[in-house]
Amino acid sequence: MARAARSDSRVDTALFVACLALAAFALILPPSLRDPAASALRRSIVAPLVALQTTAERGRTALLTHEALTRERDSLALTVQRQAMLERENERLRRMLGLAADVKWGFVSAEALQGRGPGDDYTIALTAGAAAGIRPFSPVVSPDGLVGMVLSTDPGLSLAIVWAHPDFRVSAMSAEGGAFGIVKAHGGTGASRWLLEMSGVPFRQQLKPGARIVSSGLGGTYPRGIPVGTVIEELKTAEGYARSYLLRPAVTPTDLSSVMVLLPPRVKAGVDGLWAPTTADAVSRAGQQLRDSLAKAAPAAAPGPAEPAASATTPAAPTPGTSATGRDSVRPPSGAP
Amino acid sequence: MARTLRSVLLFALLVSLHYGVRPLVTWRVAPDFLVIALLLAAVRLRPGASAVLGLVIGFAADALAPGAFGAAALSFTVVGFAASWLKAVFFADNVAINAVFFFLGKWAADLIFVIAERRLGGLEWITQVAVWSPLSAAVTAVVGVAILVVAKPLLEAPGS
Repeated sequence: MARAARSDSRVDTALFVACLALAAFALILPPSLRDPAASALRRSIVAPLVALQTTAERGRTALLTHEALTRERDSLALTVQRQAMLERENERLRRMLGLAADVKWGFVSAEALQGRGPGDDYTIALTAGAAAGIRPFSPVVSPDGLVGMVLSTDPGLSLAIVWAHPDFRVSAMSAEGGAFGIVKAHGGTGASRWLLEMSGVPFRQQLKPGARIVSSGLGGTYPRGIPVGTVIEELKTAEGYARSYLLRPAVTPTDLSSVMVLLPPRVKAGVDGLWAPTTADAVSRAGQQLRDSLAKAAPAAAPGPAEPAASATTPAAPTPGTSATGRDSVRPPSGAP
Repeated sequence: MARTLRSVLLFALLVSLHYGVRPLVTWRVAPDFLVIALLLAAVRLRPGASAVLGLVIGFAADALAPGAFGAAALSFTVVGFAASWLKAVFFADNVAINAVFFFLGKWAADLIFVIAERRLGGLEWITQVAVWSPLSAAVTAVVGVAILVVAKPLLEAPGS
């Protein structure tokens, strides 16, 4: 029994010494032999452990970079969302530039600051005021049509009501000039709140759905020819001598960002024909010409008011950032009323 | 036989944890599951077999760090042989003694490794041996005791 124990002990010691010798031998191996040996181990018995460690390292990297990746992804998503907004804004500004090129003078461009509280649906604050020449009752327009009217002014800020305001009224007519009436907010609740109503149209004059309604110029506040809306259908009323029509407004208040305020001299001179159906082509042409001229950065002389809009609007068009209070857009050219 | 199989499975599990879980720990101080596996196995093996097991584990560890090829094999051989030789002294049913056993095993393994590796020197060597290795040994001891407590019923279950 004791002999067996001694024998086992000797075997253990021998194994231990052998292992030590192997380990020490591995330690003193030159790199030319050590590296192939390690490589052979990695490719054979250690391979599953290497795969396990690789997976764990990837998991660790994923854990460490998860937060940063999430932040980057969110930033990217935000940028993409903003890009769509910027494209829409860019389109609006291009159209505004086109309209400005057509109007040429007697207007002030402004940013519309829309409130977010209850009751703010009917009013907008404009980033230009009395200092820029804006007066109460000045019409507020956009490339789509009539927005509303300036209610009060401060030196640097104006307050305007939009067409959805209960007090808003505009004398209007069909684009052909056959039917006249008064346009006001339709009122009511829900979606109909954002529609217009044209009342007082003589009974003998019937409008078809899709007919364009523009301001008539009567009353002196709004010049003739600004798009107000499009006929949706006739409203049933108790009046037997006049008709009323439901209109789809030309301008959606929630889409407003940049507007133009027409100054009194420009109102007096009129804007008839600037929003004609062919205006879109003119706007597109003017925008293209404006981009070309900006690219060339060539100074151009301001055209006279009598020149054709499509060919003469570009040089007088205000550039973004200067048009809000730009005097060129306020001062009538020589020969203008 | 069943207990031997469970021991082998536990050993394999600990080795897998070393390569599957340890890389997830981002701290410099991490438990050494290889040392825990070696010490738990050494209790059930003869010193010579423990030395061979330590050599194999060490070479496996060295294969992934060939810069000091043989250092881990040397340290694990010594630790495995010593643990098996001292099993009569340690590994009583005492948590504190087991914790000290794990602590000393890990610290000794680190010490031998650092000496055999001959890479560190001066203050760096002292910092490694006197600060990081004891901290790592302490964490290993805590984890080792926890594993021992969890696995003890499994390893001592009837059917062996």
